[in-house]
Amino acid sequence: MGTRTEVLVIGGGSTGCGVVRDLARRGVDTTLVEKGTLTNGTTGRMHGLLHSGGRYAVSDQASARECIEENRVLRDIAGHCVEETGGLFVKRPEDDEEYFQEKLQGCRDCDIPAEVLTGAEAREREPYLAKDVEKAIAVPDAAVDPFRLCVANAVDAENHGARVETHAEVTDLLVEGGEIVGAEVTHESGKGPREHGTPGEVEEIYADHVVNAAGAWAGRIGDHADLDVAVRPSKGVMTVMNTRQVDTVVNRCRPKGDADIIVPHETACILGTTDEEVGDPEDYPEEEWEVDLVIDTLSELVPILQEARTLRSFWGVRPLYEPPGTGTQDPTDITRDYFTLDHEERDAVPGMTSIVGGKLTTYRMMAESITDHVCEKLGVSATCDTADAPLPGSERPGDLEAAMERFGLRSPVARRSAQRLGSRTEDVLASCDPNPVVCSCEGVTRAEVRDAIDDSGTDLNAVRIRTRASMGNCQGGRCAHRMAAELHPEHDEATARAALDELWAERWKGQRHALWGEQLSQAMLNRAIHGATMNRDNDPARTDDAVDWDAFDGGRSDAGEGEVGEEGIHGD
Amino acid sequence: MSDAESPSDDFEPIEVFPDEETPDLRPGADDCYKCSTCDTNCPVAEVDDDFPGPKFQGPEQWRLKRKEDASVDDSISKCSNCMRCDSACPSDVGLSQMHNTARAEYVEEELSKTSLTYWRNRILANYRTSAFLASKVPRIANFAMNFGPARWAMEKTLGVTSEREFPEFATETFREWWERQGGADGSRERAREARERRGEDVDADKRVAYFHGCYANYNTPEVAKSLVRVFEHFGYELVVPEQRCSGTPMFANGMLDDAERHAEVNVSSMGDLIEQGYDAIASCTSCSMALRQEYPELFDIDGIEDVAENTWEALEYLRVQEDLSGELAGAEVEDEHLASLAYHAPCHARNQGLDGQALELFDDLAGVDAEDVGDSCSGISGTYGWKEEKYETSMKIGEEMFDHMEDAEGEVGMTECPTCAMQMEHGTGYEIRHPLEVVAAALT
Repeated sequence: MGTRTEVLVIGGGSTGCGVVRDLARRGVDTTLVEKGTLTNGTTGRMHGLLHSGGRYAVSDQASARECIEENRVLRDIAGHCVEETGGLFVKRPEDDEEYFQEKLQGCRDCDIPAEVLTGAEAREREPYLAKDVEKAIAVPDAAVDPFRLCVANAVDAENHGARVETHAEVTDLLVEGGEIVGAEVTHESGKGPREHGTPGEVEEIYADHVVNAAGAWAGRIGDHADLDVAVRPSKGVMTVMNTRQVDTVVNRCRPKGDADIIVPHETACILGTTDEEVGDPEDYPEEEWEVDLVIDTLSELVPILQEARTLRSFWGVRPLYEPPGTGTQDPTDITRDYFTLDHEERDAVPGMTSIVGGKLTTYRMMAESITDHVCEKLGVSATCDTADAPLPGSERPGDLEAAMERFGLRSPVARRSAQRLGSRTEDVLASCDPNPVVCSCEGVTRAEVRDAIDDSGTDLNAVRIRTRASMGNCQGGRCAHRMAAELHPEHDEATARAALDELWAERWKGQRHALWGEQLSQAMLNRAIHGATMNRDNDPARTDDAVDWDAFDGGRSDAGEGEVGEEGIHGD
Repeated sequence: MSDAESPSDDFEPIEVFPDEETPDLRPGADDCYKCSTCDTNCPVAEVDDDFPGPKFQGPEQWRLKRKEDASVDDSISKCSNCMRCDSACPSDVGLSQMHNTARAEYVEEELSKTSLTYWRNRILANYRTSAFLASKVPRIANFAMNFGPARWAMEKTLGVTSEREFPEFATETFREWWERQGGADGSRERAREARERRGEDVDADKRVAYFHGCYANYNTPEVAKSLVRVFEHFGYELVVPEQRCSGTPMFANGMLDDAERHAEVNVSSMGDLIEQGYDAIASCTSCSMALRQEYPELFDIDGIEDVAENTWEALEYLRVQEDLSGELAGAEVEDEHLASLAYHAPCHARNQGLDGQALELFDDLAGVDAEDVGDSCSGISGTYGWKEEKYETSMKIGEEMFDHMEDAEGEVGMTECPTCAMQMEHGTGYEIRHPLEVVAAALT
């Protein structure tokens, strides 16, 4: 009872989504499986920087050139996922002048537009920069929304006939006669969009070729066929600040180091990062010193960070890879380049290619090269068009402004929606009337939430990454339950409740690392609302007893006249 | 790092942007944890379901904004600037500062400078200019401003409601009267006599600079005269320096440039006197609020902090400096008119912590019975209730106060705020007095 596809892509991060889009556009019948939501692994746990290449202009000029090229491509094809913030490499008095000059020269060598600003000019752009910042190099860094980007790739792939399955974990590789012929996939809740409470099933997916794009988990996939894919996962912390202290990407201009970047991302700023090799991509310590380090160190560049409110911290693992025998000790020295491991050539096991390493900025270029490789194997001659074809949402850049004018929403809310939805704005916002704001921290309306539910089922974390609902300063305190309520009436109460619990647990996870100052007050308020007012910490609905609905009265019979109905309101 | 201890008070958004016209208030959104207490205390939100409330207008809007964004939501003009959200907030979010700044940005970027609304607002906000002109010919002005056909035309063209009666202009302004009394020199003499009578050091350093505001000058000089009499009774020498509008109606209409021009004059003249050892006092609670809180929040003017720190509401000043309640406890008011008063605390008095003071003071004063009519907002909020499109909202907000006034014993109302007084009179037909008039009746 297996299913067939030409290519099976494992992993729903930027690489996997890029590959499935490229293959589908070339007419190849493709299926993508991801064990969580899209971007569940490394991609959803990055700081959202679209590199100009400036970061690699000294250490790795080949990467720098790729970055600037892809940076330009993504501004074109994914305008609604990219915010053109610009970036600065700032130099403090204690940072090395020689390195500053090397960086500048490096940018020029790699064709990265670079302009030197005095300290005063830099502060004019970013008033919260430290007063003693001496000078800066301005480069075309930008902010990219990895969630929106991956979803857009997946949607485009589906529009071209691909099948995308989330919450579908590869539990084994199918090997026949020494050849990989597919994978055994365990669906968490059946095929199609996730539905809480639906029983799972196991599916064998046969493919002409398998692409292992599982990132830090690529080694685990390889293990199923006794292939050695030596990914070295390296963790890094990212701390989310409540507001945008800077509107430009701020990098520290010094050789590699921890805690040297601030990325403005939507309504927040993300501080990063650390670099520590870990043994297991899913189980590693999330340590408070890492959070302290990024805040303390980056406060040297932007002092206001020291007293700003921290929303949460999250950790990601980089899927670093080095060819066997390199023997690098320090993970920061491992190249960020990507590698295509054709297991037929490498291990004499045909049927699968693994992709490791790489970075989000060049995901499309990587996808193109992998797709070329796979197409050659399959004998497909179609060429790649992903550098020119806009992603869904970015087809008509002019639509954004027009749509913003049209909807009777509060202006900043309408603008936020339009920026998220791009050319889909009209279709989505017009689908719902009335269209109240569901998440006020991020200005997300019911229309967007419902649109996301249509796409991803009862998975509220998938709704979250599509809309940003619950990602603001109350971290879901005032909207998680409203999001769950939007699942009704298509889904029943128990399903909505399970979905809410899952979202709530995920929101809580990152807040544990921000429990001081205002965010502690916030957590207490959230606890008061959810634990006490909604009685979610001692909920009769989940104890053994059924809810005694008869204990409630019928409410007002005619709210319009403000009269109490015959049932009455007891003990007002 | 841990910021469990409260962050330092050094951060001041205006200092960060010395050359920028509008400060970046996004970082202030950090303090808001969305408890919504501000929304539940907002009188406009209570009666208007379409108004998104102070939480959205302030921290949410600022957080959603990017630096280059110009589009402030137009609902900002529905905020009446009562500033109740400020005192409601448990985490000291600078809500009214955010609102004032957003409103200014809205007016600057989105309101057409050729629109009637803009000019209507500008004329209303610059009440001082109209009052100055009207005061030259008070009788004609009183007739013309309330002349039916003219008012009809004003409503139709400018959107100034014809429901309200314009306040009367006094036939003699306070400043004219003050000059007639001999100005500062006359006051010095009278103060010395009072100090002698009171057995105090005749050369005592008791000097105050009076910020009378526009309304006490042009419309209700009896309030200002009462203040002079009361302060001179306690042996204070008064000066009445050059002054312009405090800016309150301009803040509320997003006309920050106008307000800053006036503020510069006020800060300069009050600042000079404060440097010489004077304290600044005001009889209008919105004026003292502007000098104390709104100026330093919105403007970067030399000496502004000094002025803010040394400005007092008149009775508040006497309560601190003198034994005002002691003297009142031994006094009696014979005026039948003041025997029973329905008192409304203006929102701006509330924000300065002064809402209980008049009632407390008159508790032991024989012949006066003052009753609190509750903690609702009067709803007029300066120029707000004068706008045709806001009139109804303004009256809906005021309804609770009208009911309570009518329920109260007295048929005379009392409040510190001139526009609250207008609304109280408009809603109930009662005559309205200022607490300083009662104190003057008791002591002089």
